[in-house]
Amino acid sequence: MPHACRILTAHWPPMAEQGLSSLPLGTIAGLSWPLLALAGVTLGLALFAAWAAVRILIYQREKTAAGQYLETLARLESQDLLNEAVIDRLPSLPSDPFWSRLADLARDSLLRHAAWVQDQTLARTALELKMGRCATELDRLRSVFRNLEDPILALDQFDEVVLANRSAEELFAFQTARAEQRAMRNLIRCEKLVHLLSTTAQRKTVGSRCDEIEMQDAQGQTHWFRVIATKFAETGAADAATGTLAVLRDIGDQKALQKRNAEFVSSVSHEMKTPLAGIKAYVELLVDGDAEDDQTREEFLNVINGQADRLQRLVDNLLNLARIEAGVVQVSKQHHSLNELLDEALRVVQPSAEAKNIELSADLSPLYLGVLADRDMLLQAAINLLSNAIKYTSPGGRVTLRSRMEGDHVRFEVSDTGVGLGPEDCQRVFEKFYRVNKDKHMAAGTGLGLPLAKHIVEDVHGGQLTVESVLGQGSTFAATLPNAGQMS
Amino acid sequence: MPKRVLLCDDEIHILRAAEFKLKRGGYDVEIANDGEEAWQRIQVRRPDILITDYQMPRLDGLGLVERLRQDAATSDLPVLMLTAKGFELRLEDLAAKWRILALLAKPFSPRELLQIVNNVLGAPSASTAAPAETALPVTA
Repeated sequence: MPHACRILTAHWPPMAEQGLSSLPLGTIAGLSWPLLALAGVTLGLALFAAWAAVRILIYQREKTAAGQYLETLARLESQDLLNEAVIDRLPSLPSDPFWSRLADLARDSLLRHAAWVQDQTLARTALELKMGRCATELDRLRSVFRNLEDPILALDQFDEVVLANRSAEELFAFQTARAEQRAMRNLIRCEKLVHLLSTTAQRKTVGSRCDEIEMQDAQGQTHWFRVIATKFAETGAADAATGTLAVLRDIGDQKALQKRNAEFVSSVSHEMKTPLAGIKAYVELLVDGDAEDDQTREEFLNVINGQADRLQRLVDNLLNLARIEAGVVQVSKQHHSLNELLDEALRVVQPSAEAKNIELSADLSPLYLGVLADRDMLLQAAINLLSNAIKYTSPGGRVTLRSRMEGDHVRFEVSDTGVGLGPEDCQRVFEKFYRVNKDKHMAAGTGLGLPLAKHIVEDVHGGQLTVESVLGQGSTFAATLPNAGQMS
Repeated sequence: MPKRVLLCDDEIHILRAAEFKLKRGGYDVEIANDGEEAWQRIQVRRPDILITDYQMPRLDGLGLVERLRQDAATSDLPVLMLTAKGFELRLEDLAAKWRILALLAKPFSPRELLQIVNNVLGAPSASTAAPAETALPVTA
């Protein structure tokens, strides 16, 4: 029973017994209607107040829950926001639709943000990786550029040096990083190079120019360079800034080779013209009828024949030398006794030694000296060395041929008491056509005998041919060859 | 009295051929095997003309001419030069610097050599011989 009814029935027992329904309207418990209405309003207000209080409590609780939810959400790292396990552990959403909706919106917004952050993080990581690779690549390129052997320079459109590798810095004696005045003309002291770079820079279109330039380095040494100067645009745009790149290729070896070739051709032509001159002169004398008797005619014909033989020897020697140098010579190596081969060489040159009154002696090893050799070629080398010694030893002098074993090598040497060689001549005596100037008058020669002997000993047989000499006292040419041991 | 020619070359057969032709042309020919020997012979007796090779041992042709030009007694000696060298020598240079009258490249023609000598020395036979194309006017 409601509390208000229990009060009424306590004061009005008959009413309780009869029941309220039996009471006439407007006279309940003797109270008037206004009073009852007031009581009802009061009760309603009380009920409303109670309901409102309850609602406020619920609101506060929902608000707190929503606040905690949002606060927890806000404290999560962006990567945790995308982790379902973490999201599942979040405080439960408020049951109130308002707070629940608000929390949902906030969470969705944060999730989108987290996804964006994650994308940006991935993009940044990828970018950092790319930058790292670029930095590594740049370091590598810089290192390659710095260490390139060819000097390289880059100029900007104002003709200032903006880039130079180590070779260029050494050549022109400046340091790009420290140079305060980078103007090309201040750093490059070669007028011809400056002119080439300037004219290249002044071209209206990009392109290259090339020139061979002789210049001095910082130490005063002269170098030959082939310079390729290229005008370039820094970007593909038509109005882009331009620059000039210069790559200097050292062609010193090439120039030296060209010079040696020219000298070789000159020497060959000189050596060929000399016997040709004899042939032509005596033929003309015969044609003109200057030789009036048979004896004179025979003498002239003998000269022509001798000069033709000389020409043939020269051509043969040249061809042999060229074939050996080109590696196309047919080499037939077999086991031979070095002493037997040297004996034969002595027999060949004996007449010329006797004709010049030179004592030719042999001091050959009593041991068997085996060599794996092309017999004809090694014999030719020994004959050339002996002939050379006889040519440059004065009458009454001595030429000695020795042989001996030296560990795993055999050695033969030709010593003479001849004119000897100075230090410079010792260095050059194996060059083709090199003839010691002061001794040319002593004998005719092609200037190919010793180079041929050296090629035969060293290139064909893997040995070594050297010379020791004292000017005015004589020379010793020594050949060492691998010891082939006993013939099996 | 025949005019004197001094021939200088280290190639004996060249010397002999030129000597033979010049002697038949009526000259008194003396020979030397290198520049040094030629210089000594010139000191003993001055020839009317020197014909010298360029490349020789001891003293080469240019070295010999240099000595001649520095000596008052021989500074005007007419000189012809023979050479088997190719592009190293230019007659214009030799003529301008050393007053060398002609440069004959080997192989040379003894007949042509005789004609040039005749032109230079004005020998009687020169009047009938065709002038050599390589001979320059005497400038000494």
